[in-house]
This record gives sequence, C-alpha cells and structure tokens, in this order.
Amino acid sequence: MILFYILAVPIILSAISFFAKNLKALGRINAIGHLSVMLATFYFAITSKLPLNLFGLFYIDALSVFFIFVITIVTFAAALFSIDYINKDVSSGNIKEKKAKFYYALFNFFSFSMLLVPMVANLGMVWVGIELTTLASTFLVGFYNNKTSIEAAWKYIIICSVGIIFALLGTIIFYYAVSSAGLAKTLNWHQIVPFSKILDVNTVKIAFLFILVGYGTKAGLAPMHTWLPDAHSQAISPVSAMLSGVLLKTAIYAILRFTVITNNCVGVAYTSNLFILFGIISLIISCGFILVQKRIKRLLAYSSIEHVGIIVTGLGLGGFGWYGALLHIFNHAVTKSFMFFGAARVVKKYKKDNLNVIKGVLSAMPFCGVMLILGMFAISGMPPFSIFFSELFILISGFTQGRYFISGLVLTLLAIIFGAIVYHLSRILFGKKPQEIDKSAETLSTKLSFLFLLVLMCVVGIKVPIFLNKIILASLEILKGNYGL
Amino acid sequence: MHNYIFLISILLVTYYMVIVKRLPALVAGFRLQSLLLFLITASFAFHEKEAALYVVAVLILLLKVILIPNFLTGISRKIQVNENLGLFLNPQLSIFVVLILTYLSYLFTFKIMSFTDKMQSATFALTLCIVLTGLFIMIFRLKAISQIVGLLVMENGLFLLAVTMCKGMPFLVEMSIFLDVFISVIILGIFVYRINALFTHIDVNKLSNLRG
Repeated sequence: MILFYILAVPIILSAISFFAKNLKALGRINAIGHLSVMLATFYFAITSKLPLNLFGLFYIDALSVFFIFVITIVTFAAALFSIDYINKDVSSGNIKEKKAKFYYALFNFFSFSMLLVPMVANLGMVWVGIELTTLASTFLVGFYNNKTSIEAAWKYIIICSVGIIFALLGTIIFYYAVSSAGLAKTLNWHQIVPFSKILDVNTVKIAFLFILVGYGTKAGLAPMHTWLPDAHSQAISPVSAMLSGVLLKTAIYAILRFTVITNNCVGVAYTSNLFILFGIISLIISCGFILVQKRIKRLLAYSSIEHVGIIVTGLGLGGFGWYGALLHIFNHAVTKSFMFFGAARVVKKYKKDNLNVIKGVLSAMPFCGVMLILGMFAISGMPPFSIFFSELFILISGFTQGRYFISGLVLTLLAIIFGAIVYHLSRILFGKKPQEIDKSAETLSTKLSFLFLLVLMCVVGIKVPIFLNKIILASLEILKGNYGL
Repeated sequence: MHNYIFLISILLVTYYMVIVKRLPALVAGFRLQSLLLFLITASFAFHEKEAALYVVAVLILLLKVILIPNFLTGISRKIQVNENLGLFLNPQLSIFVVLILTYLSYLFTFKIMSFTDKMQSATFALTLCIVLTGLFIMIFRLKAISQIVGLLVMENGLFLLAVTMCKGMPFLVEMSIFLDVFISVIILGIFVYRINALFTHIDVNKLSNLRG
C-alpha cells in the first residue's frame, strides 16, 4: 500500500498544481508532499519483506528500493529549492504565474515517471518508463522558451529518442532470446533471471551491446553524451539538479537489470570490459571539456559525465568496485544537486553564467558562497565528504586486482579534474564583487535545501549509515545473481 | 510467400524515402511504409491466430497510417515551410550509402547473429536496414520534420522486428509503446512550432548556439 502512496502523491500534486490559487502555498505543499514520499520510502524499506511482487506488474527488491530512495531524496531537495526559485522568477516577471503552475505539474509528472522505472517488473515497461522521463522533462529543459533552451530541448529529445530506440532493439532481441529458448513468453525480470543460463550466448551478447549503447545515451556515457551539457545547462535549475542527480541513474538502473542476466549467461568478463571501456572514454572526454569550460552550469554538466564514467568504471572493476559504484550513485546524486542549487543562485543573482565574468560570490552571497566552497571540494573528491570514499573504494578495487593501468589512469584524470574544478570555481568565489551587486541573504527554504543535502554528504562521508549499507549490500547480492533477495 | 512480397516492398519503399527531395513525398513514403507494416502484422495475426496482434495491426493503421502522417502534413502546411528537404547528400550518393548499409546489416545478420531459420535471418537483416536508414534520414536531412520522420522509420523497423520474430511484445508493453510514440510525436510537433516561431526556420543544422 505504501508503494501506491509513493506513486500516487506525485500524480495528486500534479493535479493540484493546475487548480491552486496561491503559488507560495503550492510550493510548500509540493515540498511537504515529497518529504512524505521520502519518509514513506524509508518506512517501506525498513518494514516490508523484499522482494515484493504485486499483480505481476510491480516487482520491488533491494536494488529498486535503493534507486527509489535516491530519487525521492533528490526530488524532495529540488521541491524545497523550487519554492523560492519559482517565487523569485514570478515576482521578477521572468515567467507568468500560470507558467509557474505548469512547472509544478510537470515537475511532479517527471518525478512520477522516474519513480515508475525502478518499480515495474517488466523490462519492456522499464523502457516505457524511461521514454516517459524524456517526454516529461523535455518541456522543463525548454522551459524559458528562448533560442538556446529550445535548441537544447530539441537536441535532448531527438538524441535520447534515437538512443532509446537502440535500447528497445536490444530489449526485443532479449525477448527473442527468451522466447526461442523455450521459456514462457515473458519480459518479467524475475522470471528470466533463474533461466538466464540456458539463453543463447551469442544473442544475449549482441542484445546487451544495444542495451548499453541505448540506455548509455540516456545515462550520459561518452561518446553518446552530446545532448547532456546542453540540456543540463539550459533546463530550469531545480530540474537540472534532478536531471544530473537522478535521471542519469535511472538509465543506469535499466543497464544493471540487463547486466545481471548477461553476467549469468555469458560470464562477468564481457560486461565488465565494456563498462570499463565506456567509463574511461567518458572520463577522458569530460576531463578535456572541464579544463576549458567557460560556463558554470556546463561545467557541472560535464562533471556529471565524469561521475557517470566513474560509476560505470566501478561496475566494470567488480568486487569492491560494485559497492563503490552503488555508493557513488547515491553520493553523486546528493552532491551534484547541491552544486546545481549553488550555481542556480549565482546565475540568478549575477544574471550571467560566464566563469570569466562572475567575481566575488563569497562577499556578495555569504551563505551560498560558503556552500559552494564546500561543494567544490566535495564534488572533486576531497575527504571528509562522501564522494572521496566511494571513489576510494573503486580505486582500491582496481589496485587490489592488479589492474594498475586502468586505476592509475582513473586516478590521474581525477587529479586533473580536481585541479580544474577548484581553479574555475575559486575564480568566481573570491575577488571583489562588482559595485552594482548588493549583498543578499537566502530564504529559509533555500537554506534548508542546502543544509539537508550537506548533512547527507558529510554523514555518509564519515560513516555509511546502517540503513544505507544494508540496502547496498542486499543490492550487491542481486547484482551477483542471487535474485531471491 | 506473400510475406516475402511484403518484406521486399517495404524495403523498396524505404529506398524511395531516401531519394525523395520534398517533404510531402517523404511523409507519403512513411504512410506507405506503415501501410505495409499493417498488412504484414494483419497477415501474421491471421496465421498465428493471435488476438493481440489484431489489436496491434488496427493501432498501426489508425496511428501510423492515418493520424501521424496527417499531423505532420498539417504542421508543414501551417508553418508554410519551404518544402525542399535540404539534402546534405544528393539522392544518388544517399542511395549508394543506404545500399552499403543494407549490405552491412546482411553481413551482421549472417556472420554474427547466425539464426537457424532463413526467414528469420532475412527479416532481421531487413529490420536492421530499416533502422539504420531511419538514422540516415535523421542525420542527412536538415528539416526538423524530416528528423521526426526518420525517428518514426526507425520505430517502424522495430515494430516489424517484434512482430516477425517474437509475434509481438507482451500486450501491455506494446500498448504503452504505442502511447509513448504518439505522445512523443505530438511533443516533437509542438517543438517544431516553437523552433519556427523563434528562429523563423526549421533547419536543424542551423541550431548551433550551444557549443563546447
């Protein structure tokens, strides 16, 4: 029942948005609704017996719960941040009140479509869910309806649709492998996994290749990443946080489901080599673009490509790397949303996003500036923040397996990116603020959204909470092929 | 036997879509391709006696043969766009490239996929070729609407694959995919209007403000 609560709240909030009279109240109701969804997920994960199978439509195991949890956390933070952001946009005449209501409706539909992906049992429905996330977020990318945002939205929907068509091709080939092996005609994941050993090895290999390229496009893996910097930098900022924080992860979730079947069928080496290949390419490409970047939101978008590269490399290294990769999914979601909130405040205040022009953020916006300094070190992997530890796990896994070249390469690229990000952001943080910019404070809801994510970043950095650790360990068992958990 | 005739004609229609120079002809080609897809699905439904496939066939007829092509023609009339597609490659070179793509999909199917059944090999090679041709249309034609058509051609290829190799996807999935396709075409249509309103053209190669 809690499950339906989690799915129903975004739909109800989406409907309310159209009829709401008071915009401020709407924003608050939205945030409270998503807070309750987050708490419900927490309660669900503790109390219910997994895996849960409902009517053959929904199938929830630890892996699903992990992703639902990440999605609800980031959505709640984005909802909290939206209140003030949207109010300021309306009061400054940037958007009309009607459009602000439209924003809340789309925001909720988008979060609904993301929550749907890890819940459905059927691999075909997973595809449908991921396509829905694209459709729901396109209008949020093109929200301001100016030349750059419409261009970004068009590229986003076209490139992601093509990518996802290849994923559907892969799904159909998987389905062919299942039905030609004499199994029941089904695409339900939990019904395929026990029999994955008798599937045709060759067919599964080819299907997985299409799946990886297809969903990899949506996950932002290079060289299929070209839509990502445009879409993430042009989207309305709270949504940029959701796109970078969790939308990419839902595509990774889909890849993981297929990985389990493929690993059982053809062995781990095949998928792990592909993962490492795409991961390293993503790291190299994003490193180059981060070095020469001129715009703050694009810098963060390329940093997302980097982190997806790290996650996928971790998945490829296996063993301890899997734990690191799952933990990194959580850490990156939290930290990147945090950074996008900071960037959003800066861009709104200065009305520009060029790293060469913005100066003196720390003196103009003290709270936001301090947050950006912390976030800058967190996102580039400094202790005591959480990203440092998940990156460390992945590197330890690489070095203990004797894969010195790959681990060394990852370490070098991480060091370069660390330098680049700290250089770029310290240029805007320090220095003298321009005369025409006044010093300003943040509202309570904005501060809360920052502090909520900051607490998560620090707590996970000091010690992974028992609850999170338990879900990740159970998810690892599922990834290893012990599907009964 | 008649299945072979359908498959060969769907390939010929796909080639036709590569050499046309004008938007209405491209949309007409898509309509014809969808009609053939409808006929193939209906004949499969008849042979396999699957009720679900009949529903799929009717939906193909309704959406892909009637509604979507009409919608696309409606858009191009309303915004009074220049009907020339604007080719990056002329028709002769285009058909040459697509013939190479056909040969590659043939090689891929017979060397790598290794089906036991000949009919299955042929249909797989054909669908792969259609998917790649759709991609080709998206890349080498510069109108926004032709990108939509290219996307739909790719989807047609996948429907053909699902019907001929797996006798259709699970029913619920198939219906949801139809819904998704329909919504995505409408959203893409809305964006074509917006691009036209902001840029006063719909040439996607000129959408190049965002770089680096």
